[in-house]
Amino acid sequence: MFRKLGLAAFAVAFGTAAYAVDCPIKLGAILPVSGPMGQVGERIAETGLFAVEQFNEAGGVQGCPVEYVLRDTQGQSAVGVDAAKSLVDLDGVQALIGAVSSGVSLPVLTSVAVPSKVVQVSCCSSSESFTALAEEGKTEGYWFRTYATNRSQSAMGAKLVTDSGFERTAVIYVNTDFGVGLARRFEQDIAKLGGSITAMVAYNESQQSYRAEVTKALEGSPDSLYLVAFPVDGATITREWLALGGTDNLIVNNSLRSDDYFQAVGSQYLQNMQGYDSAQPRLPSVDSFNEMFEVRFDNPPNGPGLHSVYDAVTVVLLAMEASGDITGDSIRDNIRLVTSPDGIEVFPGPDGIARAKALLSEGKTIRYVGATGALAFDENGDVQAPKMTWKLDGDENVETGYLSTAEVAELIKMLDE
Amino acid sequence: MILQHIADGILSGAIVSLGAIGLSFTMKLLRFANFSHSELLTWGAYGALVFLAFFASFGGFFDRTIGPFSFGVALLLAMICASVVTSIIALVLHRFVFERLSRTAGHMTMVFASFGVALVLRHLVVLIWGSDPIYYSNALQFAILLPGNVRVMPDQVFLLGLTIIVVIALHLFMTRSRTGIAMRGVAENPDLARVSGVNVDRIITWVWIIGASGAAMGGVLYGMTVQLRPELGFSLILPLFAAAILGGAGSLYGAVLGGLIVGLSENLSVMIIPTTYKPAVPFLLILAILYFRPDGIFGERSR
Amino acid sequence: MIGLVSYLVFFLILSLIFGVAVLGLNLQWGFTGLFNAGVAGFTAIGAYTMAILTGPSRDAVFGGFELPFVAGLVGAMIASGISAVIVGLATLKLRHEYLAVATFGIAVTIQLVCLNWEYLTGGTLGLIGIPNPSKAWAEGPLAQNALYLLVVLVVVGLTFAALERIVKSPWGRMLKAIREDEIAASSLGKSPERVRLEAFVLGCMIMGLSGALYVSFIGYVSPWDFLPILTFQIWTMLIVGGSANNRGALLGALIVWGVWTTSGFVISRIVPSEIQAQGGAMQAVLIGFILVVTLLVRPRGLIGEELYVSRHARS
Repeated sequence: MFRKLGLAAFAVAFGTAAYAVDCPIKLGAILPVSGPMGQVGERIAETGLFAVEQFNEAGGVQGCPVEYVLRDTQGQSAVGVDAAKSLVDLDGVQALIGAVSSGVSLPVLTSVAVPSKVVQVSCCSSSESFTALAEEGKTEGYWFRTYATNRSQSAMGAKLVTDSGFERTAVIYVNTDFGVGLARRFEQDIAKLGGSITAMVAYNESQQSYRAEVTKALEGSPDSLYLVAFPVDGATITREWLALGGTDNLIVNNSLRSDDYFQAVGSQYLQNMQGYDSAQPRLPSVDSFNEMFEVRFDNPPNGPGLHSVYDAVTVVLLAMEASGDITGDSIRDNIRLVTSPDGIEVFPGPDGIARAKALLSEGKTIRYVGATGALAFDENGDVQAPKMTWKLDGDENVETGYLSTAEVAELIKMLDE
Repeated sequence: MILQHIADGILSGAIVSLGAIGLSFTMKLLRFANFSHSELLTWGAYGALVFLAFFASFGGFFDRTIGPFSFGVALLLAMICASVVTSIIALVLHRFVFERLSRTAGHMTMVFASFGVALVLRHLVVLIWGSDPIYYSNALQFAILLPGNVRVMPDQVFLLGLTIIVVIALHLFMTRSRTGIAMRGVAENPDLARVSGVNVDRIITWVWIIGASGAAMGGVLYGMTVQLRPELGFSLILPLFAAAILGGAGSLYGAVLGGLIVGLSENLSVMIIPTTYKPAVPFLLILAILYFRPDGIFGERSR
Repeated sequence: MIGLVSYLVFFLILSLIFGVAVLGLNLQWGFTGLFNAGVAGFTAIGAYTMAILTGPSRDAVFGGFELPFVAGLVGAMIASGISAVIVGLATLKLRHEYLAVATFGIAVTIQLVCLNWEYLTGGTLGLIGIPNPSKAWAEGPLAQNALYLLVVLVVVGLTFAALERIVKSPWGRMLKAIREDEIAASSLGKSPERVRLEAFVLGCMIMGLSGALYVSFIGYVSPWDFLPILTFQIWTMLIVGGSANNRGALLGALIVWGVWTTSGFVISRIVPSEIQAQGGAMQAVLIGFILVVTLLVRPRGLIGEELYVSRHARS
């Protein structure tokens, strides 16, 4: 007993965190709820809170309610880094959810999460730099993301284009690490599959008008457009594209699978649009996420980062549940435990979480199959997910195809050869 | 394609011109760079949204769209009301912030106060209307094909027409009315104007009203042809300043020409450079012009 | 308790790094009257130079020379100095708002180059793995940050002392003379053009230094760190603190950065979680409001300019 106290004192004196379970348990979130990404970030932040609410409904973590402490990054790295540091030092959080853009997540990771030994799980950052850092051992395992990497997305985009028989594709993409990475991969993939590119046009975010970009992309009369964008700018571009006589054969990235985007453009103009997204496995119990979301928010969870932030939060909380003392290290290690491929499958929602907690208390390993499917983090903290393709039918977003994780891996292997 | 780029440039430049007129006037007459001016565009656009709902509720005549345009009488009335509301906002800001600062502090302090004001105005829009984009009309307007294979949307033709009318009206106001002539006097030399019996405060009120109304119209037109979002004005701030400076502070035609140059240079530039460098183009152009004419095209050397 | 200390150290590092840039701007605006609205551009040049000189080498990207920290700082100052000479020669005959828009445009252009010139800057991905010297000298995040704070304090101290000496030198009095009345200054046989350029270059070098300190601390540099908002922040710090006073410049950095960040902390505490997503907008409204009120109450900043005469004149 005294020995343990002594150790705790020792740990505190040397600045390493050693918290016993103190109620409530805080979970930090650093998201861009204002600024240029505010529209996307706000919904992501609300969905994160929704995940916490559901976990609390199932009794919280180790009998403690979870408090969701949200801080705004304003889309600025310095503000985000400060917010993260304040969450870690002043609120004592052991895990951070966020950020959205890689330009904020990366500095938070290198200057706050890793040095302070706190787990960071991003819903949305797609940069390849994270994988590079992890391979160099610089993330020390504290970094995870529930957003499937760009590799599978460009492959799906190229497959949709060539499967639909389009031969001349224009590409308009957002000039960020996300868009550039995706567009480059797409260019290679489409060549491999026998399609061709008429124009590669990058656009900078938050411009007053995109007519110049659209006019440029229209040169060479493409029969299809691959669009990598976020809902607000994406809607502007799509409207200008269609108005200026562009084809309505659109292939869009999963960041545009958003009701905001459909409504902004008008779904009657988007009936020939196709897209892809991470899919949930074909299990009836998994549909519950979408249903629960609709009950809570009155609209379906169509938008960038909503599924993945839900899973990011739930995985972290499950890992906390599985930990004795809740520390960054224990969360980091237990994230593997609650997503282990040979564990018993558990699903989202209060009932699913209650069941997961019961299984954990029996000392069983579990496999969380969440809103983005069965999460399987590789050693770099990256996930692969099954994929689905979708289109609009009237206002209805309908699924048109499904590729399991194995099929996605096979497609990528074929393209990389 | 060059004709299309020219058309695109003129049309996107016209909105910048409308906003830049007010900015240019305040810069000359109030002697400070008002960073919150672009937020008046946002407030004009969102203000019109409220009045649009009001007028459209009358139905019938008000609600019908006119000819090939996407809007009806309701939006035009809403635009006028929004101009009034935006002018009131501008006058309140002048009374409680800028006027006080102009008496107690230098013009740089006013510049930074205007940045604070912009921050407040922009985020109040988020708090009131949310951050999702909004459209006056969800119907998508398809471009009509003009000779020379140029495509323009009817709304944009209206936009250009309205801009021309506003400029002509302002020209007449500045040259024919007593207030307009006095305004030019204040711009040239406020002290001289004051001793000549000009009520400078009244003139400044007019400057704010003209500037805010132009901004509100610009905002509504932007909302009509693109979309309403809280960042609407913010994303226009650089083109606005570019246009005002390019034309020379206080010059009506300078601001209009500046706006067109900004729009044209952006749109034409993508024919030779990657689109990713597009936002730099107006500035490089400004650098070149200012190098030879340090006070703008129509500016007069102040010293 | 340990958490509070740890956060305070972190806060001081960031605000003092901003403070360095504010000192540079103060030399340009406060003492010389140059309206440089391109602060973010010159910090970016310093930051990227630091990353290229001290960072690890990467495939398909220039640089990665793994030079020592101090070499990186010096290199950053030289690089921003050289670019300031070029920019200054092209723009310094412009006045006030005109100079502001020109320098603003240059900063936008520099940011776009950082974003798009992949071979030099890593493009949209930025440059990762930039070493922080304190990591080699100390163990544990708090000790490392404390050590880095010491480094920053030394840099701030040296910059501050150097600037204080400079502005009280005959050259420094020349700066103010030009700010107040350029024609009178030139009639004394001095070349205002040349002195303005010198002040501009020196100020930009200090901004570059600030950028270099920032990337070493964060370990990463990307184009998103140098958007125009950074320029606004630095300017706000100077105006709130009090221009033409170096102590005011540093105080402004501490206070404005404090308001900018603690308002987020306060809002995360008091706003109910259901409407937390609106908290960002409230925070921005609050920051803007505080800024305007501060300026209304203390229009010359918290500490204004000190008036003094040459010590030669006194004797």
